[in-house]
Amino acid sequence: MKTIIKFSIICLTAISFLTFTGCDKNEESDTTKPVIKLIEPEEDDVLKIGADVHFEAEFEDDKMLASYKVNIHPNFDGHSHAVTKGETETVDFEFEKSWTISGKNTSIHHHEIVIPENATPGHYHLMVYCTDAAGNESYIAVDIELSHEGEEHEHEEDEHND
Amino acid sequence: MYIKYIAVILIFAYTLPLSAQETDSLKIEILNEVTVSDSYRNNIVRQSALPVDIVDKSFMYDHFTGNFMQTLEYIPGIHSMDIGSGFSKPMIRGMGFNRIAVTENGIKQEGQQWGADHGLEIDAFGVERVTVRKGPSSLLYGSDAMGGVIELSQLPAPSDNMVYGELALLGKSVNGTLGGSVMSGVKINSWHVKLRFSEQHFADYRIPADTIVYLTQKLPVHNRRLKNTAGFERNAGLFSEYRKGRYYANYAVGNAYQKVGFFAGAHGIPDASRLQDDGDSRNIDLPYSRVNHLKISTRQQYTRNMLSVCIDAGFQNNHREEWSSFHTHYGNQPVPETNPDKELDFSLNTFNSSLKADLIYSSQWKHTFGFDVQRQRNSVGGYSFLLPEYERFTAGALWLSVFRPNDRFSLSGGLRYDYGKMDIEASHDVYLEEYLRRRNYADELVEAYKWRSRAVNRHFGDVSGSLGFVWIPDKSHQLKVNLGRSFRLPGANELASNGVHHGAFRHEQGNASLLSERGWQFDASYSCQYRNIAFTTSPFFSWYDKYIYLKPTGEWSVLPHAGQIYRYTGVEAIFTGMEADLRLDFFRNFTYQITGEYVYTYNTDEYTPLSFSPPASMRNRLTWRHKIVQFNVELQSVATQNRVAKNEDITHGVNLLHLGATFEIPLMVTNVDITFSLQNVLNTKYYNHLSFYRKVEIPEPGRNFLLLIKIPFINKLKVKLQ
Repeated sequence: MKTIIKFSIICLTAISFLTFTGCDKNEESDTTKPVIKLIEPEEDDVLKIGADVHFEAEFEDDKMLASYKVNIHPNFDGHSHAVTKGETETVDFEFEKSWTISGKNTSIHHHEIVIPENATPGHYHLMVYCTDAAGNESYIAVDIELSHEGEEHEHEEDEHND
Repeated sequence: MYIKYIAVILIFAYTLPLSAQETDSLKIEILNEVTVSDSYRNNIVRQSALPVDIVDKSFMYDHFTGNFMQTLEYIPGIHSMDIGSGFSKPMIRGMGFNRIAVTENGIKQEGQQWGADHGLEIDAFGVERVTVRKGPSSLLYGSDAMGGVIELSQLPAPSDNMVYGELALLGKSVNGTLGGSVMSGVKINSWHVKLRFSEQHFADYRIPADTIVYLTQKLPVHNRRLKNTAGFERNAGLFSEYRKGRYYANYAVGNAYQKVGFFAGAHGIPDASRLQDDGDSRNIDLPYSRVNHLKISTRQQYTRNMLSVCIDAGFQNNHREEWSSFHTHYGNQPVPETNPDKELDFSLNTFNSSLKADLIYSSQWKHTFGFDVQRQRNSVGGYSFLLPEYERFTAGALWLSVFRPNDRFSLSGGLRYDYGKMDIEASHDVYLEEYLRRRNYADELVEAYKWRSRAVNRHFGDVSGSLGFVWIPDKSHQLKVNLGRSFRLPGANELASNGVHHGAFRHEQGNASLLSERGWQFDASYSCQYRNIAFTTSPFFSWYDKYIYLKPTGEWSVLPHAGQIYRYTGVEAIFTGMEADLRLDFFRNFTYQITGEYVYTYNTDEYTPLSFSPPASMRNRLTWRHKIVQFNVELQSVATQNRVAKNEDITHGVNLLHLGATFEIPLMVTNVDITFSLQNVLNTKYYNHLSFYRKVEIPEPGRNFLLLIKIPFINKLKVKLQ
């Protein structure tokens, strides 16, 4: 009887040991998210309506970058996205575009985002999303304000033409 | 509809005391703690080839938190997935949501358990006996029980005629909980009726941090209280049973109501302006969630010689609402005229019925035949959309045999077939369509996005089964081995959803062609008892084909506030791990207990772990017990969880110190039980990998002082038997 008990204990231990070690040998794929460093626009920046946006960011991933996306949407009442009542001649500005990127580290600088003349002034969220080749995603959000009085960005000559 | 049922059951309740005869003599005695007798426990534990844990009322009170799941977490392998300090949902060995079942009085609890912000609607005060079955339980409960079952049942009726009751009071410092429960029962001859009412109110909970950092934004936490996490719950339950000769029947009605605020930062992009102190830590502001769960059930049982027939029937209505200031991403959606701030509304009606026949052939053979049917209807409302309307029908038939040639060995095996039908209604979002057209998206894209859910009509057929043995070579050893096949039907969200999940900020897309999730599960458990040492270990290994998870596709969604699209996909997955429990009694009054657990998950298609894998953890507990006093100190250690799925964050480990004491003070004619506990003594700031607020980087509640006072009473009646 004793030997049978001992044998079963050994078997159980062996099973649990095998199952743990058996799986650990498999190579695990990438679960590290890409890193977004948004340089421009910054938090609480005032952007000028009718002008283009100076967009500057750095993306970094441990394996391979895939794509990034910029989204701008209204944030008029400071928190939720409530419907604005009454008629307005202006149009709430909404922007959405994605770009393909690659490599482990890339710096982006462009002026492709243009705020039209009829954009409603006010607070907006600017969101930047980034994915890597494995599907890991990160995003950041900054508060921006669109205004007719907004400063047109001073622009040093481009060091990096992306 | 169900009002009729309540009426019928209430009539029973009210006519019952009338039939009670006058008490001619009162004899007051101290109510002895009702504990699970060893014979009952052993009987259940020996009958199942799966690891089974049974806990009773005294365990529930010793580890009381006011929340059923958080109390059950003391059992190795069980976890509580919390949404703040109010809602919690169960997890067994890394499987949660729809992958485990909770039953009460034989009826499977049906709420919105697929949802991450859903909590189990159970009154923590009313729990009398809990049986936890870890491992594949589809054979007994059909779909959803693949990860295990938590069964709640009632203690047996007292044998003597009596009136008894209990008053319990609860206070907690971390969220200013004030709660209480009153229970009263009467046993007269064949009848036993008990009523319970419980209520808990709690304020915003305290966290050991002044700021939280989310999406690179630093957000203030005023007075170290997490704004708008206050809430309350109110539960009432009636249980009555009748036993005469070979006939047994019970009737139960229960209603659980919970209203809990959501931290504003967890709904939408956190904004410091929303987190300003409103000067009131007890108010429940928008956004909040409100749940009402009504459950009515009955059991009818007849036993004769070798045959026992049991019928369970139940009706449940789960009504869950989420309220949040009206907001839309599309600009053209008008504010609803009624209940403008009602974001989501789900009403799920479930009818269950089951028939079970036990045939005890001889002392060696026992056969069980079972048949059950369940019908569900989910209707939705609110200005937002998350889950479609659907109807679900399932029916299953099972056969289970147990062969026990002697007291030391039993072999059990069974087969079950389930039929499932899922009928999901399509939902067309006109505002979204208009929004997309305004932005000049191509027709094809508009067509793909405008359906928040697609019409799906599917039929499923699944076989489940198990084969295992229990071997007790001698008094001090026990070995169990079981191999099981189990399944789960895909949920409505997994089949049909298409849109941003408001809590996860993800565009989640269902897949109408998903197959049932199926798995082979191997479980073993060994326990031994030698003098003052008791040891149990239970390793498991499971392999699932078509395990359903949300796969990041790398395709950008055009919906506002969405990143890439996540699509429900079935893959091969592996779950393995073990629990261990060592208990040592020494120096007469001391007990040292160490419990540990580990779960390993692996998605063989992605080569990554699965999300919500519980981290390895261990509890070291030293208890000193002397007559009416008990002190305990516990070190809870949680390892860092760095085995995460894609788009899930690593959660660092923590060591937490807890202290506790219980006193049993004789007062007047009764014994007052007092439980003190001091949780997280050092006010350590830490994160819980399984918490809903984890992804918003909100630490867990800080130091908590808990006081529970329980005053039982008993009054024996001398009633002449008719």
